[in-house]
Amino acid sequence: MKETIARLQHAMAAQGYVTDRATATAAYLALTLHKPLLVEGPPGVGKTEIAKVLAGVLDTELIRLQCYEGLDASTALYEWNYPKQLLHIKLGEGAGQSIGEREAQIFSEPFLLERPLLRAIRASRQTVLLIDEIDRSDEEFEAFLLEVLSEHQVTIPEIGTVRATYEPCVVLTSNRTRELSEALRRRCLYLWIDYPSLEKEVEIVRAKVPAIDTKLAASVAAFVQAVRRHRLIKTPGVAETLDWAHALVALGANTIDDDTASETLGCVLKDEADIRQIRAEVASRGAAAVVAAGESTE
Amino acid sequence: MTALADPAFLVTEFSRRLRDHGVATTTVSGIDAVRALGAIDPTDKRDVYLAFRAIFVQRRNDLAVFDALFQEWWASAYAAPDAKRTRAGSDTPNPPVIAPWDEPKAGSATALTRWASSRDDTDGEESIPLAAPSTRDATATKDFRCYASDDLAALEQVAAMIVKRLRSRRSRRWRQARRGARLDPRRIVRLALATGGDPIRLARRQRALRRTKLVVLCDVSGSMDLYSRFLLQVLYALQHAFARVETFAFSTRVVRITDSLARESYREALRALEAVAESGWSGGTKIGESVEAVRVGWPRLFDRRTALIILSDGWDTGDPAVLGSALSNLRRRVGRIIWLNPLLASPSYEPLTRGMQAALPHLHVFAPAHDLASLERLASHLSF
Repeated sequence: MKETIARLQHAMAAQGYVTDRATATAAYLALTLHKPLLVEGPPGVGKTEIAKVLAGVLDTELIRLQCYEGLDASTALYEWNYPKQLLHIKLGEGAGQSIGEREAQIFSEPFLLERPLLRAIRASRQTVLLIDEIDRSDEEFEAFLLEVLSEHQVTIPEIGTVRATYEPCVVLTSNRTRELSEALRRRCLYLWIDYPSLEKEVEIVRAKVPAIDTKLAASVAAFVQAVRRHRLIKTPGVAETLDWAHALVALGANTIDDDTASETLGCVLKDEADIRQIRAEVASRGAAAVVAAGESTE
Repeated sequence: MTALADPAFLVTEFSRRLRDHGVATTTVSGIDAVRALGAIDPTDKRDVYLAFRAIFVQRRNDLAVFDALFQEWWASAYAAPDAKRTRAGSDTPNPPVIAPWDEPKAGSATALTRWASSRDDTDGEESIPLAAPSTRDATATKDFRCYASDDLAALEQVAAMIVKRLRSRRSRRWRQARRGARLDPRRIVRLALATGGDPIRLARRQRALRRTKLVVLCDVSGSMDLYSRFLLQVLYALQHAFARVETFAFSTRVVRITDSLARESYREALRALEAVAESGWSGGTKIGESVEAVRVGWPRLFDRRTALIILSDGWDTGDPAVLGSALSNLRRRVGRIIWLNPLLASPSYEPLTRGMQAALPHLHVFAPAHDLASLERLASHLSF
């Protein structure tokens, strides 16, 4: 039992995802209790990655639904194939069918276009359904999701209720741009992912950028750790650390000196004011001092 | 360490304790926790901790409370697995009471009484007298405590500004509409059934309107008396600038005064309020109970498109915990919670009253409201 969590953790690591016990436990429970997993945390800490890795571990398809304001049933669940419907009505003319019969015909399975949610429900094996950035959708959509999440079924007025034969493993992510409803939270397991510790970040860099020199990986992670302690408009996530590591490897850098640091800061920081602030820090203290600051835990 | 003797009991106990500390747990999460104990090693503290955290915690803010309670629970659950503790005393707080109307109390010295009877000052066609003993000269920065009379026109302008910020928006969602900008294919196909597949009759749709609502709760207790006339005008101006405003006055109980304010003229509104005030008020302020009473009594007022404005100085004779929980509950439901405190204008003021302390973490905006300029500044915080 205990080994199962450890095994899942190893399997996730084998997929190139450096994880901790908390994440593995939450994922394990999501799979055993058949509950959706709600992952919250700052941008760029690998929330979406969890779903991808789980799909890899389960060796199954990842179905992704990117949320945005105004996302509705016809984009998320299903849509009718209108041209096909119109054609069918035309072709059936003179066949002597009543309007009711024809209506029943064109609002049936063959005229249905599957969208991500319906696809996940109707899949012929267990899939991983990623509902990405749920906080971007509006409350109406959240309410609509409840049926899918708790009953693993969807209702199409013209056809009826479609139940999942294989309940998908659902992962929801949120950047907390707005508060999610109680009803949704109640139905989910919860996982908060924060920026990784220095050790974990070094591990992630080495796993994702195998070409990197061990010492450089440590410096990159430490530098970013130090940068995160500043008051920034946009705090860099792990994604930025990796971008930077890739860039430094491509440039053939062995260490982070002052010049390389200020030239490549754009990989880490995505706001002009932030770049100016850190560049000034590098100029006054030197990049090595910034790295050293990141290595020391406060 | 042995396995739990009675996991269901111990988990329920833990779940209840979490609930007592404001972490919303459900029966389902309790069941999940028991199931989880079967799926993991129930003697491994770290795994039980991580599993319970995933199950019981629903938001980041709950993590700290959870951590503390888990340590406590683990120690007691494994120290004496057989000991069945009895439930601690009743955990339901007193339900909020809206005092009945027909119970006039003696000594009803609250602001609303005096506010309404201040009608006489505004009866005449006075211009804007600025005879108040103030060292500041501009109208805009004049503290309304010092106001001899009223400048309704200027206030109405500010109210219009505030309301403009709160205006309704087009949602991203589609609704059927006769003259919509876009075609509605689903309905067109249905209509085409009757015409042999030729889409002759077209159906249209357009973006739905998301209406913003404004709910105003105004403290009319004695301590707010100094600002009474000004605030009354703010209420009146808001009520008239915006169609969907609900206004409540409270001290120890809550009265809906929307209809009284929605009179043709300010004078009539005052007369109507006077009638309301005559039914009597007792001294003191129960902010938490009042907010809770509105929340429970008018639940449909609160959704994401609601801006809740509380006008009060935060002097609370009620239980601050009630205020905290009422506001934290509302915070999850409404778009904006704005607390306007007339005292905040004073540089020496610090929101140290227990009521204010309980309220602060749940507010989107905490701002002064003592003069026109402060209200103008408020307008810029309001869009949501």
